[in-house]
Amino acid sequence: MAQISFINVIKEYEAGFKVLDDVSFDIDQGEFVFIVGPSGAGKSTIVRLLTKEEQPNSGDILFNGESILNVDNTTVPELRRKIGVVFQDFKLLDSKNVFENVAIALEVAEASEEEIKSIVPNVLSMVNLTDKMFKYPKQLSGGEKQRVSIARALAHEPDVLIADEPTGMIDPDSADDVVAILEKINSLGTTIVMATHDQAIVNKLKKRVIRIEEGKLVSDKVGGKYRG
Amino acid sequence: MAKEWSNLIQNLKREKLMSLSNITVMTITFLLLGIFINVIVFSQTALKYLEQQAQITVFFKLDLPEENIQSIRANIAKDSRVSNVSYISKEDAINIFKELNKDQPVLLESITPGILPASLEVSAKNISDLKAMSAEYSKIDGVGEVRFFEDVISRFKLWSTVVYLVGFLFVVAFFVISYSVVIAALRTTINSKGMELEIMKLVGASDSYVKTPLIYQGVFFGVISATISALIILIMDILLYSFGIFKQGVTLGFLPGIMINLIVFAAILVVILIASGFLLGYFGSNSAIKKYLKY
Repeated sequence: MAQISFINVIKEYEAGFKVLDDVSFDIDQGEFVFIVGPSGAGKSTIVRLLTKEEQPNSGDILFNGESILNVDNTTVPELRRKIGVVFQDFKLLDSKNVFENVAIALEVAEASEEEIKSIVPNVLSMVNLTDKMFKYPKQLSGGEKQRVSIARALAHEPDVLIADEPTGMIDPDSADDVVAILEKINSLGTTIVMATHDQAIVNKLKKRVIRIEEGKLVSDKVGGKYRG
Repeated sequence: MAKEWSNLIQNLKREKLMSLSNITVMTITFLLLGIFINVIVFSQTALKYLEQQAQITVFFKLDLPEENIQSIRANIAKDSRVSNVSYISKEDAINIFKELNKDQPVLLESITPGILPASLEVSAKNISDLKAMSAEYSKIDGVGEVRFFEDVISRFKLWSTVVYLVGFLFVVAFFVISYSVVIAALRTTINSKGMELEIMKLVGASDSYVKTPLIYQGVFFGVISATISALIILIMDILLYSFGIFKQGVTLGFLPGIMINLIVFAAILVVILIASGFLLGYFGSNSAIKKYLKY
């Protein structure tokens, strides 16, 4: 059984304008998958559909064999704790330090203070940010901010980590660091789905590549390459 | 509960200026609401007082014996519609006439004792009864004439109805305005946390986790600002009372005929304002947070 299945998914924001047009694919547990395509192709919509920020107009999306379309509002938080998300713009709170920004993911799940004190340093060490634990986002580089965002997504030990253009706002060296961390997380068994249009990274890693163009899935190859 | 309070105190410390401006705006709103309710009640009380001054004058026939006059007076005093009866004897009438015309000696010379009739000045509890009372009293044997100022009375009646109705509508409208102001103030606070709330939802926060601290904050702002304004209103009313204003009490439009001590009224208003603060804070923050609870 696939961990994630998109089955004939159609998403329209405006009537007649399909952002995703009959898209189907499966992703297995432990895979590292790139979703590529030019800006506006529908990559971010796939991410938002997976986290239930959006609903498809038709088709179905399965997570661990169950349709997420049937997940009601009271169960959405549970789904989001199983799917960690890393955002292009980091989505960090400037008023909170690195530790607090990561801890927020545990606080919302009402974890105890002891749990927070033990988990946060662990995930920060995974992304090599132990020494920046009490710095504020303004004191960090773009790459470091993105690593905080990854640490926050990891705090719940999610089954899947979705990264939406995680290297889009950082320099190439930092982008390599971020991708190396995602590979390390993947090697520990977490599924990684990374939406990107960064050809260099996709071509270097030689992972499975799902290509979306104008809302349609145009290719799906393991060890695929991407030319924008 | 303890966790919610410590979160609330933490938030207030972090957002000192925002909290201060919210409490100021909401205090001014509640203060205006309280002052407005006071003004409406005071104007209704003043009108009620003037209503009770409205009188019918019952003139007796010149030859009616004193014992008959006293018997009629006693019967009128028993009338449940009457609030007060005072007797003006023939001698009193002459004295009043002389006092009024003391600078016209020629006129005073022509007046002889017994030329002016004895009379009763009757005040009604409700001005709308004056016409019927006047008609009834004019039929009493021994009564020569009954006078009351119908124009003035009907104008009074109109104004008192207008003050009751407009006052009621204004209070309702002011409640709605206060609700809007409170919601706008709370929405400003909640919108300033938009990013934090969005992140919370994306990392798996439940609705209640997002909502509860903001409801606490809304209720806190509502109760604190309502309490400050209620205390100001209470002090104002105590000062009015100590200066002897409305010493006899105040009346409420929807409770005709009942006079309430000004301090008791102020205490009721304090409770109403604090309860309004609680409810507006609760429902205002609930309504302001709705858009952040959509998935």
